[in-house]
Amino acid sequence: MAAVSAPSRHLLTLLALLPLALLHLWLAADLAPFELWTMLASAEHSFEFLQLQLSALPRLSMALLTGAALGLSGSLLQQITQNRLVSPMTIGASSGAWLGMVLATLLVPTFAADHGQWAALLGALLAVGLVLLIAGRSGIGGLPLVLGGMAINLLFGALAAGLVLINNQYTQGLFVWGAGDLAQIDWHWVQWLWPKLLLALPLLILAPRPLSLLQLGGDAAQGRGLALWPVMLVLFLAALWLCSVSITAVGLIGFIGLLTPNMAKMLGARTARDELLYSALLGALLLLSTDALALLANRLSGQLVPSGAAAALIGAPVLLWLARRHLAAEDPRGLQLPRGAEHFGWRSALWVAVFALLALTVALGLARGINGWRFEWPSALVWSLRWPRVLTAASAGAGLAISGLLLQRLLRNPLASPDILGLSAGATLAVMLALIIFGGALLGAVAPLAAFVGSLAVLAVLMLLGRRHRYSPALMALLGISLGALLNAALQFVLAKGSGDSFALLGWLAGSTYRATPAQALGLTLGVLLFGALALLFQRALTLIGIGDGVAASRGLNVPRLRLALLVLVALLCALVTSLLGPVAFLGLLAPHIAVMLGARRVLPQLLLAASLGAVLMLLADWVGRTLIFPLQIPVGIVASVLCGGYFVFLLIRGRLT
Amino acid sequence: MKRCLLGLLLLWLTPAWASNAPRVAALSWEATEHLLMLDVTPLTVADAGDYRAWVVRPTLPEGVPSSGSRLEPNLELLAELQPELIVIPPVLEDIRPLLERIAPVQVYQGFSQQHDNQQVQREAFLDLARSLGREVLAEQRLQAMDAELAQWRERLQAHYAEHLPAVTVIRFSSPTAALINGPNSMPQHALALLGLQPALDLPPSPWGITQVPITTLGRIEQGVVLHIEPFPQEAQLFASPLWQAMPFVREQRFAAMPSTWTYGGVFSLQYLAEAIGEALLKLPSESGKAPQQPLE
Repeated sequence: MAAVSAPSRHLLTLLALLPLALLHLWLAADLAPFELWTMLASAEHSFEFLQLQLSALPRLSMALLTGAALGLSGSLLQQITQNRLVSPMTIGASSGAWLGMVLATLLVPTFAADHGQWAALLGALLAVGLVLLIAGRSGIGGLPLVLGGMAINLLFGALAAGLVLINNQYTQGLFVWGAGDLAQIDWHWVQWLWPKLLLALPLLILAPRPLSLLQLGGDAAQGRGLALWPVMLVLFLAALWLCSVSITAVGLIGFIGLLTPNMAKMLGARTARDELLYSALLGALLLLSTDALALLANRLSGQLVPSGAAAALIGAPVLLWLARRHLAAEDPRGLQLPRGAEHFGWRSALWVAVFALLALTVALGLARGINGWRFEWPSALVWSLRWPRVLTAASAGAGLAISGLLLQRLLRNPLASPDILGLSAGATLAVMLALIIFGGALLGAVAPLAAFVGSLAVLAVLMLLGRRHRYSPALMALLGISLGALLNAALQFVLAKGSGDSFALLGWLAGSTYRATPAQALGLTLGVLLFGALALLFQRALTLIGIGDGVAASRGLNVPRLRLALLVLVALLCALVTSLLGPVAFLGLLAPHIAVMLGARRVLPQLLLAASLGAVLMLLADWVGRTLIFPLQIPVGIVASVLCGGYFVFLLIRGRLT
Repeated sequence: MKRCLLGLLLLWLTPAWASNAPRVAALSWEATEHLLMLDVTPLTVADAGDYRAWVVRPTLPEGVPSSGSRLEPNLELLAELQPELIVIPPVLEDIRPLLERIAPVQVYQGFSQQHDNQQVQREAFLDLARSLGREVLAEQRLQAMDAELAQWRERLQAHYAEHLPAVTVIRFSSPTAALINGPNSMPQHALALLGLQPALDLPPSPWGITQVPITTLGRIEQGVVLHIEPFPQEAQLFASPLWQAMPFVREQRFAAMPSTWTYGGVFSLQYLAEAIGEALLKLPSESGKAPQQPLE
């Protein structure tokens, strides 16, 4: 394929666009091709004619415009950062736009109905701004940018989910936009969008020179008189503008910006200009074909299938496949968390104990009732309702902290945790699939099994991909990202159906201790204690593997077998927690780090401290969830994700600024 | 007549019973509606605020507290309120053991593709009345509804000179997508009670609604389309030439009906029928004739 010269490659792609555009028109206008012809020939303005003119043609234009804009923006971002994993979606723009839209709809509904796009734009810019702040000047070109984007995606996603869940009746109108629908009723959006995309023309002319200099490396570029940072910043903002206005116009459509530059490169685009141009072209082609698929599905099923869902279904597997080809090199840079104390002394232990006791007292005794706040020992009835939730929350927190710690030690990756690696997303996706196949009635029985199978499957993929690439942080994060994106798209798709099941699903996904029975609470606790004890037995192995495989092997350990056994342990633990609670983000990542920051640097104290911290954090999150907006309750998963995620982002930004 | 008088007497007496009125917690909006129609003010209602905003009728007195969300009602609050009976939808069946520690529980079927929703709600209402000892009142309320529906039928027949239009009830979800109320949805049951046919044939769906692109509505050649308010972006949609070109818009066979809950209990049929009837009476009498349709 690389043998084809650039002009003929572009020409061929353009030629492929033509029949595809005709197919798209035919599907969108709901007409047979020959009818299309006769209608264009006749002078009469029937409804079908108007449908062609005001719905099908604008939709076609929209697919081409946004596809090209997303492709161009993705290529620009990837070339600036020299990072094949960067795209509008991976650096937080989509989740920022979604949160902005949700907030605007709830706070200023009348404004949101007509000018919601500005809220989306603002949200996208804010999210990416935060990600840039986290990644910092040096991190922009590498993994820190992607990881920061992932953190913001998880955090903003949890915030938006919480808001939607609490205000379910008021946010229903958003879901079609959230699922990414290209349908048009007039030329309004096309006319809104195209002048804003004109920026692409000067970009195509001016950007290639600095970009090709960048390919030589930052120092070389500076050596040739390129004012590196201002140029990069301007290009970055331009790319962001292109994708933000597109998202605003058509809603959340992921993957296009990520896939097209990679495809362009694979199909032989070598120079900067070639890649930019060809990405734009491919983006248009890709979005047009996914939208044609969505239209086809719509016609076959008789109900609306959003384009974003189709894009994600195609995009996620392709992304994984791409990952295998492009991620040979290990990127040693991660995100730096503050180091904290050197030793875990008695004083710190005392503080932790006091804090834990306080949290337990508050969680058990302080509650809101019909007449306001009360602090008392609960009655027998209330106690029987309260303790399973409290115990479930605490055990889940401990379990997540342990699995996060195991992963971080085993993969020698400070950012490994069940949610970042996609274990939680895999479990959740499997449960969602089970819900679709078996219906809601069997969910209670099927969910734990599905969650287990889901997280095991993700783990298996991780092991297969990971061994070849020595468990590089980039690869691990990538899998998490693609699964997370797939999960999000599936969720948006289910929500967009507009039926009452949507909120039941959202409620489960939010991660709640509400439905925990005493038996389940005890089972979870026993499971976590058992797995925790098992992990303690392996503490020597964990220490040695944490130093290096070679060191561990030289001390007589069977490293591959041990690693496999411990990873299965992690999957079991994660499945156990996720099946009961749904996904909880950030906790598994953060608890081991806080333990380190408090000075617990050896495996044994870190494990114990992280587990207790995880338990305490979840206790508090559950309590906040139960009391904050009484009598309504916020699921503990959302509270924990938002609290821990906020703290995590704060730590990262503080670390960057000092 | 005698029954009617008795009913009035009961109505008049109700406030006097308020002190020993049944303490019932309603964890579904259908149950709330049914209790209110039995002149029982629920002790607490799940999502009471949203009920007042979205269901509206029958009116829930201001003092009734919310007991949390319908998916996760606040158990500790329920325990504190000490109800004598808790009425739940099937979606809460799995926490029934917990609720039974607080008070006896009755579960009533909600909206489902599997059964006739109108029939199920009617039976649920009667059954609830039986367990509260208010069968007589229940029968009266149902008869009053039937009488009301008969009046609407007559009014529509008078307006449309016996050539009733076919009608489809929709709710916009965005300027480019709409939810159509199809078979077994409460709006379609209300249409049937008014002697009206659906204007668009749809396959049954789990929630009685099907989401379609807005252009699909263009296929409605005959018949009237009613949309349930509110729709914040209506100015944008209604001004577009494509919307103007929809056959039912061009021929003035389109009207709005006030916000009405479409997943309600048995009396939501009456409110829906009223809303539909009022909207239809506002349209010119020759709208959407469907001459082939016999009455009843």
